[in-house]
Amino acid sequence: MQEYNIWDTGVEGQESEGYTFCDGCNEVPFCGIKFYQKDNNITRIESWPGFPASPLCSKAYATVQRLKNPNRLLYPLKRTRPRGASDPGFTRISWDEAYETIVGQLTRIRKDYSPHHAFFYVGDPKEPRAAVQRLAFTYGSANYGCESSVGCRRAAQLAELLTYGFPTMGNLPTEQTGVMLIWGTNPAYSGQPFMCHGRLADARERGVKFIVVDPRKTPTATTLADVHLRARPGTTAALAAGMMHVMFKEGLYDRAFSEKWIHGLDSLMDYTKEFTPEKVEEITRVPAEKVVDAARLYATSGPGGLLTGAQGTTHNLNATNNHRALLLIPAICGYLDIPGGVKKSTEPLEGMPGPWAEGPPVFTRKDLLPAMQANRLDLEDFPVWAEKIFEVQANHLVEWIREGKVKAFLGWGLNMMIWPQTHEYQEAIASLDFSMAVDYFYRPQTHPFVDIVLPAAMNFERLAPFAIHGRKIFGRKPVPPAGECKEDWQIALEIGARLGDPEEFFNGDVEAACNEILSMWDITYDDLRKNQESGVLIPAKGGEVYRKYETGDLRPDGKPGFNTPSGKIEAFSKVLERYGYPALPEYKEPMKTSSEYPFILISGARVPYITHSKWRDDAPWLLELQSEPVLSIHPKDAKKNGVHTGDMVRLKTRFGEMEVKAKPTIMVPIGVVSVMHGWANSNVNELIPRQFDPISGFPPYKEVVCSVLKS
Amino acid sequence: MTRYAIIVDLNRCTGCMTCVLACKEENDTGPGVWWNKILEIESEDLDNINYVRYACMHCDSPPCVDACPEGAISRRPDGIVLIDQEKCKAHGECAGACPYGVIEINPGQGYFSEKKKTIEKTAPDFQRHLPGKASKCTLCVHRIDRGKDPACVAGCPSKALIFGDLDDPNSKIREKLRKAGPLLGQKKANPKVFYIISGSLFYLIENSVKRDLRAGASLDRPLYLLNRYNCK
Repeated sequence: MQEYNIWDTGVEGQESEGYTFCDGCNEVPFCGIKFYQKDNNITRIESWPGFPASPLCSKAYATVQRLKNPNRLLYPLKRTRPRGASDPGFTRISWDEAYETIVGQLTRIRKDYSPHHAFFYVGDPKEPRAAVQRLAFTYGSANYGCESSVGCRRAAQLAELLTYGFPTMGNLPTEQTGVMLIWGTNPAYSGQPFMCHGRLADARERGVKFIVVDPRKTPTATTLADVHLRARPGTTAALAAGMMHVMFKEGLYDRAFSEKWIHGLDSLMDYTKEFTPEKVEEITRVPAEKVVDAARLYATSGPGGLLTGAQGTTHNLNATNNHRALLLIPAICGYLDIPGGVKKSTEPLEGMPGPWAEGPPVFTRKDLLPAMQANRLDLEDFPVWAEKIFEVQANHLVEWIREGKVKAFLGWGLNMMIWPQTHEYQEAIASLDFSMAVDYFYRPQTHPFVDIVLPAAMNFERLAPFAIHGRKIFGRKPVPPAGECKEDWQIALEIGARLGDPEEFFNGDVEAACNEILSMWDITYDDLRKNQESGVLIPAKGGEVYRKYETGDLRPDGKPGFNTPSGKIEAFSKVLERYGYPALPEYKEPMKTSSEYPFILISGARVPYITHSKWRDDAPWLLELQSEPVLSIHPKDAKKNGVHTGDMVRLKTRFGEMEVKAKPTIMVPIGVVSVMHGWANSNVNELIPRQFDPISGFPPYKEVVCSVLKS
Repeated sequence: MTRYAIIVDLNRCTGCMTCVLACKEENDTGPGVWWNKILEIESEDLDNINYVRYACMHCDSPPCVDACPEGAISRRPDGIVLIDQEKCKAHGECAGACPYGVIEINPGQGYFSEKKKTIEKTAPDFQRHLPGKASKCTLCVHRIDRGKDPACVAGCPSKALIFGDLDDPNSKIREKLRKAGPLLGQKKANPKVFYIISGSLFYLIENSVKRDLRAGASLDRPLYLLNRYNCK
């Protein structure tokens, strides 16, 4: 019998285990990686046994190849030719020179202008956030933003805070759940909340019903959905109003709960009156009978759960109210905070609301923010946002730089392709007094426009941050960084230390910074090491409590009710009313197609093995799976335009155009085309205008009309 | 006796590519070589998209074994079909004989040419792929011999892959075997990868695979186009 030598024959005792998290899809909390290494060379990885967020996905396996990529950044670089030049002439410098430049610029800007003229930013991955927030706020700048506050999760979160008073993207189904509503997300492919499709499929096998709302025929829809509503992009509020119309009309809603706990119930009933299934079909292209089926199924098969995406419903000019509308469906069914429904965690870890997405406020020095509120650059443009979200809404960066309100930009994981009309942001940032970026690789769409690029240690090489799942904390056991790479936290802490207060920044010691946070729960990183695989559980004081709106556990003042101005779920938002925005979740007609622009363009349709612009040259394995962007177009639309698989087509909007390869597929409905974002040579976000939802400031990545012509 | 097999539940497979990358990472195959693939099979008429995990079927009557003039391919007693790279003289008969078209040729280049040597020095045997030699899924025999599931099975987030011993009445693979069938069973190779899918779709997938094989699929095209079929 032919046998293969295996890894641990011959190397027995030399191979050791390590633990880290994946940063592949920018998800927090993280998925766990267990790895094996010999002489600090990672030999293989697997899902961290027993880790709450598991199993791993394709991107996690590819982090190994990314780690070994000889093209990764290993030394600090400075630009020697003009910003934006085709060869900006980056040359190697020492960390000392890099830090002296950065600290010199920050000191000068604070003196010549104000600390608020320096903008701090964390893109992808999210891991550096807590350390960079501490740096920004301690330095004295109110102007910290992140990819969530540009185009990802925060618009949905804003809607949740306005409506429920707490943030939620829903939950996985529990044993009690009877029906799930999955709206604008594809958990089969992306971390929501992690690679959970197996668990959803198990729920389906035990009888849970699924309603999936997505214009695309995603694997989530094909493998799970009892009812699949393929709504026209941007029409969420109309579809939600239609479902509520049916529930109200047929008396299927939870009347007792709604009358007691929903502010503006009467106006909502009035508003949804005109959204008959027939009218909703006209608006959304979802057949009227499916609207009725979905409404009945959800209202009568409870308890009903909810899974929403980070941004599928908010990439349009009615972002906030579109998302608010869908949130009201579980609300009128009385599914909030009941077993099997839309749960608000009873006892989140003390001092850590929303692990790492919002940082531990004591550590990040959020206490410094209230005094700086007036210095937020988004205060006038997006006042509701500025009241509810501590990260600055950064989409008006171009104007702020032009007006001299921003003089320096410090970005960790900065990717300028996140922005619509990317070139305007590139030009703006290139015109600053100073800018720097921290990254794994040299990124040609971003780095030619900055002055200094710093090499970041990758996930296998980092200690911070540790991971938090519920009340369980897990540490890492990394290998040393390659070259002169440093982990994100260390870079932020060392800049902070050199700016004048070494102790405030733990003299640049990452573990000491982690221990400062861990001390909130009376543990240290060493305790995490002692419990490496199992993690450390911080016991809760009590058991799970439901219907916390009755107990007073939802509000800081301890009174019963929801944490909103009215103390109720707000169908009619008092905050939006105060600022003069539509206070009901009103439907707003998206951009209209025309004979010139007959298609609706979805920018940012995901594939499972790539997130954003990462994973192209970073890990050639993944580049082999897909080497260029493709335009998904329905076969009937393709045929009408004489387009075949693999043909080059010209994709055009009123705001830009590009060439792209076509892939006819029934994944997209007739009249809708979609393109993955983040491809440097075919950046679809150049076709998206700098127009923004007035409440959240989100751009219309999934609304713009376009034409497709064979090249 | 032991006869190892895999069931692929296509009602659960989402085409997420985790098995594909788990295999790549585990076995570290060269550029262009994908022992484990996902076929994306779409029918406009049936309004259906299916994702099909596709790799060596480890046939009980493997045509590749007989086709090799060097005797380089063998079937172990537990049913795992393996290529001995040292004996392989790259005649190519095996690739032609395989009803499923899963045998590929190792490239001469690594992904990162300058790094290749140092990595190779430390690589275990199952990650050594000699240039120009025939290459295919080993069912992760190195893992199986240690009591572990193949990397693709262990990695599947959707629990769409079930690994086990067909001859073991207590094996978890036996529970679902009744619902599963082989692809291209009429080729009489007695494959040991079985698929769970409804009848009409089964037919569709078989036709797609046959057509692709006739078309002489080559890997110089990106996989997302190569592995995609539009079926009428």
